[in-house]
Amino acid sequence: MHKEAAIREPLILGSPTYSDISNDVLHSIENKPTQLWKILMIIATIAALWGLGCITYLLGVGIGTWGLNNTVGWAWDITNFVWWVGIGHAGTLISAVLLLFRQKWRMAINRPAEAMTIFAVFMAGMFPMIHMGRVWMAYWVMPIPNQFGSLWVNFNSPLLWDVFAISTYLSVSLVFWYIGLIPDFGTIRDRATRPVQKLMYGLLSFGWTGNAKAWQRFEEVSLVLAGLATPLVFSVHSIVSMDFATSVIPGWHTTIFPPYFVAGAVFSGFAMVQTLMLIVRKAMRLEHYVTIKHIEYMNIVIIVTGSIVGVAYLTELFISYYSGVEYESYAFINRLSGPYWWSYAIMMTCNVVSPHLFWSKKLRTNLSFTFVMSIVVNIGMWFERFVIIVTSVHRDYLPSSWSMFYPTWVDIGVFIGTLGIFSVFYLLFLKYFPVLAFNEVKSILKSSGEQYKNMTDEEFKALHPVLKKDIK
Amino acid sequence: MANTKKYWKGLEQLDKDSTFVESSNSEFAEQLPVTEFLGNKEDLEDASTTRRDFLKYLGFGVAAASLAACETPVTKAIPYLNKPEEITPGLANYYASTYFDGNDYAPILVKTREGRPIHIVGNKESVLTKGSINARVNSSVLSLYDNNRLKAPSISGEETTWATIDNRLGKELAGAKSVRVLTGSVMSSSYNSAIHSFLNPSIENFNAAGDPIGSEVTTIGKHIVADAISYSGILEANKESFGKAVIPTYNFEKAKTIVSVGADFMGNWLDALQYVNDYTQTRKPGNDWMSKTFQFEASMSLTGTNADVRVPVKPSEYGAIISSLYAHLGGSGGVKTAYDAKVKEAAEALKASKGESIVVCGSNDKNVQVLVNAINELLGNYGKTVDVNIVSNSKQGLDSEVAALIEDMNAGKVDALLIQGIDPVFTMGTAFATAMKKVKTTVSFATKMDDTAAACLYICPSNHALESWSDAVPVTGHYSLGQPTISPLFDTRQTEASLLKWSGNETSYHDYIKAYCEAHIFPQSGAVMFTDFWNKTLHDGVAVVSTKATESTPFAGNVSKAVAAVKAIKANGIELELVQNMGIGAGVGADNPWLQEMPDPITKITWDNYVTMSPSEMKDAGYEIHFGQEHEMNVLEVTANGNTIQLPVVAQPGQAKGTIGIALGYGKKVGNQEELTGANAYPLVTKTKTGLSYYASGVTAENVELDEPYFIACTQTQQTVMGRSSVIRETTFDTYKKGDRADFNPKFTLLSGETDAHGHQKAKELKEFDLWGDQPVKVIGHRWGMSIDMNSCTGCSACVTSCVSENNIAVIGKDQVRRGRIMHWMRIDRYYSSEHQPLGDVGATHDKTKEALDVNGISAYTAMEDPADNPSVVHQPMMCQHCNHAGCETVCPVAATTHSNEGLNMMTYNRCIGTRYCANNCAYKVRRFNWFNYIAYSKFTDINPSQDDMARMVLNPDVVVRSRGVMEKCSLCVQRIQEGKLDAKKAGAKVQDGAIQTACSSACPTNAITFGDHNDEDSQLAAERESDRSYRVIEEVGQDGNVYYQTKVRNLNA
Repeated sequence: MHKEAAIREPLILGSPTYSDISNDVLHSIENKPTQLWKILMIIATIAALWGLGCITYLLGVGIGTWGLNNTVGWAWDITNFVWWVGIGHAGTLISAVLLLFRQKWRMAINRPAEAMTIFAVFMAGMFPMIHMGRVWMAYWVMPIPNQFGSLWVNFNSPLLWDVFAISTYLSVSLVFWYIGLIPDFGTIRDRATRPVQKLMYGLLSFGWTGNAKAWQRFEEVSLVLAGLATPLVFSVHSIVSMDFATSVIPGWHTTIFPPYFVAGAVFSGFAMVQTLMLIVRKAMRLEHYVTIKHIEYMNIVIIVTGSIVGVAYLTELFISYYSGVEYESYAFINRLSGPYWWSYAIMMTCNVVSPHLFWSKKLRTNLSFTFVMSIVVNIGMWFERFVIIVTSVHRDYLPSSWSMFYPTWVDIGVFIGTLGIFSVFYLLFLKYFPVLAFNEVKSILKSSGEQYKNMTDEEFKALHPVLKKDIK
Repeated sequence: MANTKKYWKGLEQLDKDSTFVESSNSEFAEQLPVTEFLGNKEDLEDASTTRRDFLKYLGFGVAAASLAACETPVTKAIPYLNKPEEITPGLANYYASTYFDGNDYAPILVKTREGRPIHIVGNKESVLTKGSINARVNSSVLSLYDNNRLKAPSISGEETTWATIDNRLGKELAGAKSVRVLTGSVMSSSYNSAIHSFLNPSIENFNAAGDPIGSEVTTIGKHIVADAISYSGILEANKESFGKAVIPTYNFEKAKTIVSVGADFMGNWLDALQYVNDYTQTRKPGNDWMSKTFQFEASMSLTGTNADVRVPVKPSEYGAIISSLYAHLGGSGGVKTAYDAKVKEAAEALKASKGESIVVCGSNDKNVQVLVNAINELLGNYGKTVDVNIVSNSKQGLDSEVAALIEDMNAGKVDALLIQGIDPVFTMGTAFATAMKKVKTTVSFATKMDDTAAACLYICPSNHALESWSDAVPVTGHYSLGQPTISPLFDTRQTEASLLKWSGNETSYHDYIKAYCEAHIFPQSGAVMFTDFWNKTLHDGVAVVSTKATESTPFAGNVSKAVAAVKAIKANGIELELVQNMGIGAGVGADNPWLQEMPDPITKITWDNYVTMSPSEMKDAGYEIHFGQEHEMNVLEVTANGNTIQLPVVAQPGQAKGTIGIALGYGKKVGNQEELTGANAYPLVTKTKTGLSYYASGVTAENVELDEPYFIACTQTQQTVMGRSSVIRETTFDTYKKGDRADFNPKFTLLSGETDAHGHQKAKELKEFDLWGDQPVKVIGHRWGMSIDMNSCTGCSACVTSCVSENNIAVIGKDQVRRGRIMHWMRIDRYYSSEHQPLGDVGATHDKTKEALDVNGISAYTAMEDPADNPSVVHQPMMCQHCNHAGCETVCPVAATTHSNEGLNMMTYNRCIGTRYCANNCAYKVRRFNWFNYIAYSKFTDINPSQDDMARMVLNPDVVVRSRGVMEKCSLCVQRIQEGKLDAKKAGAKVQDGAIQTACSSACPTNAITFGDHNDEDSQLAAERESDRSYRVIEEVGQDGNVYYQTKVRNLNA
């Protein structure tokens, strides 16, 4: 056990004991749902059902129920897809990359962030399915040996790469998340009093014993999975960006897309984590574990990634001018001055200008401001995808085909529906799953807990006879 | 009656054998060995059917039974009991026939499959039209299967039989003293004679034109001709000038200068189908000379879009311009107009090409036409480019005769009125409708319920033209036959047969035509045997029988009177010009969904008529000048000649200021649609003492507020080409003649990095930098492709409907077209020039654009989006370019779109899962997605003819009908390619150049589209590909398309 430098701010506030931590985190699981949870659940369910209704209508009648046309073949569908995939980025980044970098502050947020990732990827994955004209043939994108003759998938198509990238990402994230949950499930099982609960958590905990060997294996697996997941953080959104980058459409055909998309994804992912965590810590009284310092750290990530995104936007703009390519330069002139200038303006304001307000320490440690900003960033990132997809393709090479896109109520309904479905999943997660990785949090209590940090060396040693002996 | 016979099962039953009686009482006649079988344990154990086997059999039985039950219902294909000799299932037959709807005349070939006509192309044998058709001609095949056709005769709206009709009408007509037969122009001499013998059965002698011989023949009535669009002015003028009321023939092939004042001779004016091919022969920049066209007009017409010089003028000024032109050419007493410089320019050009020029005018004013005649006389054009001795029979209606008819009807002088081929209540309005009420017996021969038929007592529905025999003498000395290609689908009878029947002639109309032909046409043909002549004419569809012209008479027009009359023309306020558009024409296309959905060649608007107005005037008035899915249009209440209609107003660059234009022919009920498309503008036609005038002055056009927003379904919402010189390439004849390709059609190059002797980087052609390998079939086998000559393309859109017909393209209706989802595989892009970016010389385009950008920065782009006030226009047919390095092919995740080894970009509908990635990544935006199940979804039942059991018969069996959720696009008519290859294989020869034609190339009246094999170096395609005018649209993107375009060359002074 090492002791952290005093200069570092504590990651756990107050003076909780190990058992306090368990009690705080498991409070929601071991008690009846609160009024707030019920109300949110009802709202989320209504939105989810509405969305499912819209999807049913869409699948029953055809893609024509969306506002797409011959020129704009993708709009809200793929915008939503990329937006959700982007959101799904923060979780793995927090759990895998920060684990590798031994950032202990990740322990307070990795579980909810990973849950967010998985649910966001569910939502994202739904769009490429339902956007197909014949979704009942969706399995054809899998390279499955078949009896249709020598039919095989087209390995040149970035859409196929998407299939692999996203399914890999989803499965690795899911496994990583679940492995992390096992010790916590074990604790819940041990504490459970009702038989059904005991049985369910018993099954979920895979017979976790909690002995030293198990913990050692747990740590090893986590590290290996973190190693595996790290490249995925970069690959998924790079590949998603190739849907556009490999095309010939001015505004899509942009070689800086892969890093630009990854940065944007982390940017929006952290913003979404902020949105969720600010609510969760308040509602579930987890302020001791998810502290202002955590919020600030995440805001710093938002500044960094927001700046990368900003540089990417400006690079794109400059290159379009510098390239001298007629169509390329017009694509960007059109973004600035064409009929969709307002979406470009929203994107620029939300993503490039607003994150820099966080340079002020006062602002980045202000919870209300952070909450508003997290929403702003997510709006901005939605518009980024909209700008890239719609304003590039709506005016491409032949002016005769230029067109506008107007969303229908089904477009909007499906999007609201995914927000609803996501929220339903997330609320269920908050109620039935340990919302923080509390067994991991316990591991940093003595190194980063406020009460321990404030102790003098003597007091600390007094608590730890073993240490005292070692020092002797 | 019950059958009391008894059959014995055997002698035993007859004998009533006791054992038989006993056994017949038990359920099974013979003892079943059940007990033995079950009792014998050993056997049972030895039996091969074990319990497992039993279960297997049971399982199989259940599975087989349920599978059998699941089988799709059997639709029966019944083979021929006696196969007709000429029909081979799967192979098409072509029959030569004739199309004439009272307006357009075209010899046609009708493609039939298994006895169903499914497609119409022009008959290239015709020396008159050279195979030209327009969209109305090839779409007429759909009208054949229109389920809303009149299906049986009726009296006062009650369905009845032909026998009843013949009986009752026979009695009524027998008592009639004064009968009028009102028809559209009659080209058929046999029909003409049938009408006359109906009016007086005693006539026996007819001349070749079908008129009775002998000047004074007493009849019970008169035959009166009224055209939907009157050309009375020309007829009357020629009567005055040359003593005969005829429509002259024009030879545009020889005309070096053409001045047209309001005459849309490439679109709808007179016999445009006979002019347009000839005209484009003069537009080949490779020749020594190119014709120069001046167009003075108010509304932008198809001719206006193609003219070299277009001057917007008011319709009331047409006469003045002609008069001024006459003066500039040395005639007397012209008036000076505001357009003197342009008129003078035209006059100079005319002077330079005397005897090789044509002056035409769209005015229906006799005096103006007399002046036109005087000009053509002055230029010595008669006998050379204009001929009044070899005349066209397509327009015969005289306004004075129609006016006299209405007078007679009102005076109660008409007992019976028989109307065929026209809809006078629709075109002439209440004046005719009220007069009709005074007529006791009214008979309509309409094929479909129209305003006139609804007002008639008797409806004797005529056949569709494709179910009828017909003949025609379109032009002096030219004869053509029309034959039925299918038996009448409904209980209808062609008008000619009805008239023959009622005049007591029991011969069939086929025999009547044949006899008539033998008596009057054959003798002029010079053929030896009538049977040979008949068979050959029937096979070819057309015959040139005699070039004997009528005697020529000198010009005797009263010019000074005409000049004075023209001077007296007065106009005030806003002027309205009534025009026809290419889809609907005079109204014949209004009930045809293909034509309604065909974007207008100029405005690109579908399913509507509208008021056209100059954009700058609209801007001043605060009207919406842009198009778009959610752009609410202003609706104007237009009042002219005391009649008012409401129509949306749209911006038409090039519309003369102070004028508005409205297309005629709309406002009919379309198909099974309840919704009207557009409004009837015929009531706005000005009726003067001398005749009809298709413009009105002192018109008011007030903006009205509607409760609901009004939207327009326009397929092209961006009007200009935004300075993109690799999309449209244009040059002037002078520049072209200088011969330096770099001036008008520069090749794309990139700096290679290698330096030359001077240290400059060497520029290399694009293909040197290609990331991709060369197409493997570049020189092996076939590589299909196309070349499109933008100099020949007039934008008429016959190819668009031909493609619809060939490829079973869904009709989706106004609402979906408005949402940018039109399914057409080929479209014609129409670009206007803008003030900042004049179309024209390639180099100049760039300079002017750059200049504008330097001065105005980014806002210049926004300015470029708006067309100029009088723009030059270009039409560009656009379809799948069949790129060798196609963007669509690489991105499809399931390889549903792939490249064939013959250079075709193929679409496998069955494999498509509908991600639409290919459509996004198509630089030409030619891919079409099935947003709905157009062939079954109830929303389209009233719109898409393919949902109708009758109309579905028009579908081409060679092309699959696409279902929901799949992508489709131009296939270069791959079914025709396959057929052509098979034909060549059977013949043991190579595929001949030109043997395979796509639907668009075969429909093109001006042969602007050349289809062929790039690998056949002797082909016309290869020659055009290598020509100095040849380029590919956005070639620099590197998709290596197989479709080439030929730079447009305008005859302008550089």
